[in-house]
Amino acid sequence: MNPWEQTALLENRRQFFGRTSAGIGSLALASLMNPRLFGKPATGSMNELGLPHFAPKAKRVIYLLQSGAPSQMELWDYKPTLKKLHGTSLPESVRQGQRLTGMTAGQSTFPIVNPPFAFQQHGKSGTWISELLPHTAKVVDELCVVKSMYTEAINHDPAITFFQSGNQQPGRPSIGSWFSYGLGSENSDLPAFVVLLSKNTFYQAQPIYSRLWGSAFLPSNHQGVKFRSQGDPVLYLNDPAGTDRKGRRKLLDALSEMNQIRQQEVGDPEIQTRIAAYEMAYRMQTSVPDLADLSNEPDSTFKLYGEDARIPGTHAANCLLARRLAERGVRFIQLFHRGWDHHSNLAKHIPVLAKETDQGTAGLIMDLKQRGLLDDTLVIWGGEFGRTVYSQGGIGNYGRDHHPRCFTVFFAGGGFKPGFSYGKTDDFCYNIVENPVHVHDFHATILHAMGVDHKRLTYRFQGRDYRLTDVHGKVVHDILV
Amino acid sequence: MIGFSIAMQSKILILCLAFLGLATELYGQDQVFYNRDIRPILSENCFQCHGFDANTREAGLRLDTYAGATAELESGEGRAIVPGESASSTLLERVTSEESWAHMPPLSTGKSLTKSQVTLLRDWIEQGAAYEEHWSFVTPVRPVLPKVQQTAWPKNWIDLFVLRKIEQAGFAPSAAADKRTLIRRVALDLTGLPPTPAELSAYVGDESELAYAKMVDRYLDSPAYGEHMAKHWLDLARYADSSGYQYDKQRSMWVWRDWVIHAYNQNMPFDQFTLEQLAGDLLPNATDQQVLATGFNRNHPITIEGGVIDEEYRTEYVIDRLNTTATVWMGLTVGCARCHDHKFDPISQQEFYQLSAFFNQVAERGLNGFEPMQQIASPFAEPLDARAVAELEAVTRQLATLQRPLSEPEINQWAAGIAADDLQGWQILNPIRWASSGESTFARQPDKSILVGSANPAKDDYEITFETEAKEITAVRLECLTDPSLPGGGPGRHLNSNFVLSEFELEAISKVDASQRRQIKFKSAVADYSQANYEIAKTIDGQWEKNNGWAVDGPSRKKPATAIFIAETPVGFVGGTVLKFKLRHQADFGTHGIGRPRISVTQDEETRIVDQNLPASVHAAAQLLPQSRSVAQKQLLRETLQGLRATEIAQLKKKGQQLSPAKQYPKTMVMRDLAKPRATHVLERGQYDLKGDTVSPGVPAVLNPMSPQMPRNRLGLASWLMDSQHPLTSRVAVNRYWQRLFGTGLVKSIEDFGTQGEWPSHPDLLDTLAIEFVESGWDVKAMLRVMLNSATYRQSSHVTPAWLERDPENRLLARAARLRLDAEQIRDQALAVSGLITQKVGGPSVFPYQPKGLWLELNNRPGLSSEYVVGTGESLYRRSVYTFWKRTVLSPMLKTMDAPSREFCTVQRSRTNTPLQALLLLQAPQFIEAARHLAVRMVQQGGANPQKGITFGFELATSRVPTAREIEVLVSFYQDRKDWFEKEPQAIRSMLGTEATVSAESVDRAALAAFTAVGRLLLNLDETINRG
Repeated sequence: MNPWEQTALLENRRQFFGRTSAGIGSLALASLMNPRLFGKPATGSMNELGLPHFAPKAKRVIYLLQSGAPSQMELWDYKPTLKKLHGTSLPESVRQGQRLTGMTAGQSTFPIVNPPFAFQQHGKSGTWISELLPHTAKVVDELCVVKSMYTEAINHDPAITFFQSGNQQPGRPSIGSWFSYGLGSENSDLPAFVVLLSKNTFYQAQPIYSRLWGSAFLPSNHQGVKFRSQGDPVLYLNDPAGTDRKGRRKLLDALSEMNQIRQQEVGDPEIQTRIAAYEMAYRMQTSVPDLADLSNEPDSTFKLYGEDARIPGTHAANCLLARRLAERGVRFIQLFHRGWDHHSNLAKHIPVLAKETDQGTAGLIMDLKQRGLLDDTLVIWGGEFGRTVYSQGGIGNYGRDHHPRCFTVFFAGGGFKPGFSYGKTDDFCYNIVENPVHVHDFHATILHAMGVDHKRLTYRFQGRDYRLTDVHGKVVHDILV
Repeated sequence: MIGFSIAMQSKILILCLAFLGLATELYGQDQVFYNRDIRPILSENCFQCHGFDANTREAGLRLDTYAGATAELESGEGRAIVPGESASSTLLERVTSEESWAHMPPLSTGKSLTKSQVTLLRDWIEQGAAYEEHWSFVTPVRPVLPKVQQTAWPKNWIDLFVLRKIEQAGFAPSAAADKRTLIRRVALDLTGLPPTPAELSAYVGDESELAYAKMVDRYLDSPAYGEHMAKHWLDLARYADSSGYQYDKQRSMWVWRDWVIHAYNQNMPFDQFTLEQLAGDLLPNATDQQVLATGFNRNHPITIEGGVIDEEYRTEYVIDRLNTTATVWMGLTVGCARCHDHKFDPISQQEFYQLSAFFNQVAERGLNGFEPMQQIASPFAEPLDARAVAELEAVTRQLATLQRPLSEPEINQWAAGIAADDLQGWQILNPIRWASSGESTFARQPDKSILVGSANPAKDDYEITFETEAKEITAVRLECLTDPSLPGGGPGRHLNSNFVLSEFELEAISKVDASQRRQIKFKSAVADYSQANYEIAKTIDGQWEKNNGWAVDGPSRKKPATAIFIAETPVGFVGGTVLKFKLRHQADFGTHGIGRPRISVTQDEETRIVDQNLPASVHAAAQLLPQSRSVAQKQLLRETLQGLRATEIAQLKKKGQQLSPAKQYPKTMVMRDLAKPRATHVLERGQYDLKGDTVSPGVPAVLNPMSPQMPRNRLGLASWLMDSQHPLTSRVAVNRYWQRLFGTGLVKSIEDFGTQGEWPSHPDLLDTLAIEFVESGWDVKAMLRVMLNSATYRQSSHVTPAWLERDPENRLLARAARLRLDAEQIRDQALAVSGLITQKVGGPSVFPYQPKGLWLELNNRPGLSSEYVVGTGESLYRRSVYTFWKRTVLSPMLKTMDAPSREFCTVQRSRTNTPLQALLLLQAPQFIEAARHLAVRMVQQGGANPQKGITFGFELATSRVPTAREIEVLVSFYQDRKDWFEKEPQAIRSMLGTEATVSAESVDRAALAAFTAVGRLLLNLDETINRG
């Protein structure tokens, strides 16, 4: 068993003991002393937290988070009506006095901008998609496009924190850490939750923060582990200069022996976990470089993901890494791509961002499909909110402000309906007119696909049973197969 | 008779003797108690829908009160609880029902009572279903000391409580740990550092009865004590060096952090520690240090994200303060009552906002809400150097002279100077050419000023040219006049009437020979008015980035302003001079140009220039002989000179302030309340914009009342918390100290003393500790001393499998805790063991080793982001409490070892055990470097003989002498590595690094490299990173 999980087991058991006044039975103790006795939960069977609650459709998630908030109007939510409305001010009857960010609240008019990009229907499903995403257009029949996402947050930090943790303010565990806690890892050499960052190229990009993959009050071994594209792929992975692999092994053997001697003396079962953790660290020194080594990938892979995939730190390279992580059973893989925050010159910037991400995204979906992995791997694409139909400032060099009331995300695989569009916005792409999906619903539905009842995956902290969906959220069954 | 060896505990000793033998047991074996046995069951399973919150109460039934539970049910099904009659109690029927519709809690919750819980409920109802107030809401009453059998074991009263319970369970306490284990445990628990070899040998060699107590006291007196204790407090206080949200900018709260370290080292009583941090600014005649202490409640994250709604974030700050204060001092999760009445604890939503009213009075904003700030010296401020002292003395002397009352002769002498009237005065120049770098238009006015109009570019540089025949020009005057055509009729072009003159430049060109030109340097500048932080001197400093310049409070003042610039050497060519002025306006605020400038020059000598601005009436009075002046004229002269002196005095005072220690420190955030209180509202669903009823400051009804004499402000709140009748403050504090020393709190849920919290393992011990703490005058060191001197603390931490099975969590306290060290301790220990550590207390945060790129990969926006710059020299070896704490990208050293990001109050850190930690400790440069230095120490102080050197190193790392078997393992590893290094000279160079840690001739380098490998191993031993 993976030491991440071993610690988790110990933590869970500590929690469990804390709640019961009686001592623990000898069976539980035996597992405590040797967590390996529990073994890896077999597919479909329950682990010690009683998870999964029911048979999962998806076993792992790849979440391509598009930070900064891509415009739904330029990419997904085709609104032919905007052509006529171009340049006119958004009627007050549509806006209904809803709150705006401090950046446009002072504007006297809200001039509507028609996106200058062509839309076309693609695939058997006839899904509308912008010319900016030619590769994604080829896989639309795999996608479940939800055009009726909404949130309450109107600024980046609270909005992305909301998507990542179910709360706008810092302090709650990230979505990936919930999965690590609840479902653990399927790989004994890799953590359950891995984070990949694209190298940012947009000069005005929004920052991200490590709390977005943090574990908050969950035990900190559930926080996401960042795989980096510069330096060691995992911090401090490589042996220092002046050592060799054999010496490293000898060091570990001597260390392990010393720790064993100590354990016999003091009897602390945690020492066994530490020995196992050092062994896993040793294995990671091979498994991680092996994972990051793309030299055995055939040329066809780079045709699929694009030549960018050869350059570490690009979206495409990370999509390829995500597939390799998924193949190895990593539970939750999250990729952050920054730079979608286009308050001005949107028509100039968005094609760049679309180009950076389009082929890798499509390549990943196609690749998973070809390998038969798409059935039980859920791919998610989306930002933290949408953008306004009106321009921030005048319509020359137009930009769009933050818009929480409607935006588009898509799902692929993992038990979501392929070739399916869900939800509808009004002619102004301002309000939702059909099937709204809130951030909490988004979380509830993902958890459901992974076999988890979002109301029952809880963690007691400060006297309260917390969950990812707070006290809200409903599963959107309509988008599930 | 119990042997008490500690003289210092005489008070406690008397107390013990008085009660010995009188012990009674509070709890019988069979009686079921509501608080201990029943409330947890009901709280976990029932209160969500049948509790305190009336809004979500189902079927009108509440089970948290006797009256509610025994009332007739609305459904007519009888009563939930019929005391004494479990068979008639509907509650029991429902929790045991097998019908899905009847089962409680509802099946959808996934909860169900266990058989033993049902039995407890049944017994309790049979025994009369007596309710009790929640234990922690009742002021503790001193319990009697329990009687024990094994009277030789206890060392103080703590042990009586512990032993009683151990004996009841049929257990026995562990043997005392050996001396080496004990000193390492005490040193790490109190100072966060392992004992030095000298401390170790002194203690091991001291066979006196008081050796242990003396050793404890020595560590309590160490400056490292304050640093270590502060570390715990900083987690609670969510202290960090960055602001947390979005771009996570740097802040300077480290001055406050120094205050905390200092307070611990001074053993500031906990009540004073509390009062000063919560309300130091409100204390009568508050000192700067007391104001500094209030930084506690300014440590919360603050946003700089441009689009946010101000009030939304200001509300978050207020609530963060309340949640943090309630958690730290009361162990209460009041935050649950933000949106609705608390589900479990008797705290209503109204009471939540009453509490928040105390914290809602700060004069602050939501966006960029860093003010109020103040420049205050760290308590560790260095004394001034000799030059500064001399300067300060000179200033003080001058001030004393100037502040003496004016004498007649002084006034007459000064007037005579003015009367000499050899002044040329100011000559207003007529502009001949002008240009705007933007599209502004300039219109020359009859008074020779220029009125600027039309386009209003964000940044605008004016170029204005004059000609003059004057030579020997000593100074230039710039008048910024007002005009009705300017915004608000003020002097500036911005909508708020202000301007920012970034830079004032002058080029002089000969009219005769244009190749003769010179850029004029101004040596000083004065203005009749300057806005705070926008002094006139900033117009001649060559800088205009970051809004550096002169402004005049246009929004509030709307008056003309005049500035005089004094040239370093006189200006003017023979045959006439072209004067080309450049007025730069480069402030980022935009459109902050001067509206109507006018330029004059003078040839008067510098010392007299200021006299020229005196009114004509003063000149007239000065012309007269003293005896001819009227009373009014004499008065005018006196007042004028007084006025001039006042300016001089103000300037000197400012200079004096700048020399004072506080000026060596950055501004740090402090608490300061608004003069006029801000109304506080109940916020529906907790949302900033859903304001309900107005509430006034107040405390929850369930707790002790607030004395009517107390002011209804933070000072009153702090006094209420420290009231000896407060049931929570003392218990929560001692429980935290206990948790640090024993691994688990007596109340395990150290962050929650509410009804969902854990029942204390030793309620009477907790209450006695709490009462002792209050009665000692909240003496923190005394409290720790009692705990450390107990036999309970001094037990061995060894455990057997059978024992683990009986008491896996050690709630009986029949052994000591074995704890993995915290992140800071692990790094500090490596620095100490290797001898690299710098033990300097206080100062700005530092930047130890960290892999490249960690900051920029998350945040790389030009102007708003910065790269992590690794420190140099001794700053690399400071203790980790000084490591720069960046919330959004915490140092991997800290984060990997479970330190919190401190975005919110953290009461308890995780203690995990992951492969990433193994990678860090084996491979991070800080540890490699420490291993190299440890190797040198092994060789130089232990001996080049492997066995000796290794034994020495092992002892440094663990405070223990290795066993023969352990030496064998280590020496064999050493030998293997040495053999390998001998074959790999390149590897030796790499392993030893480039630094000259030891001279090459003195030691065999292959041996040193092998010792380094052993050093790495030693720093990674489970024993090294744990304390046993």
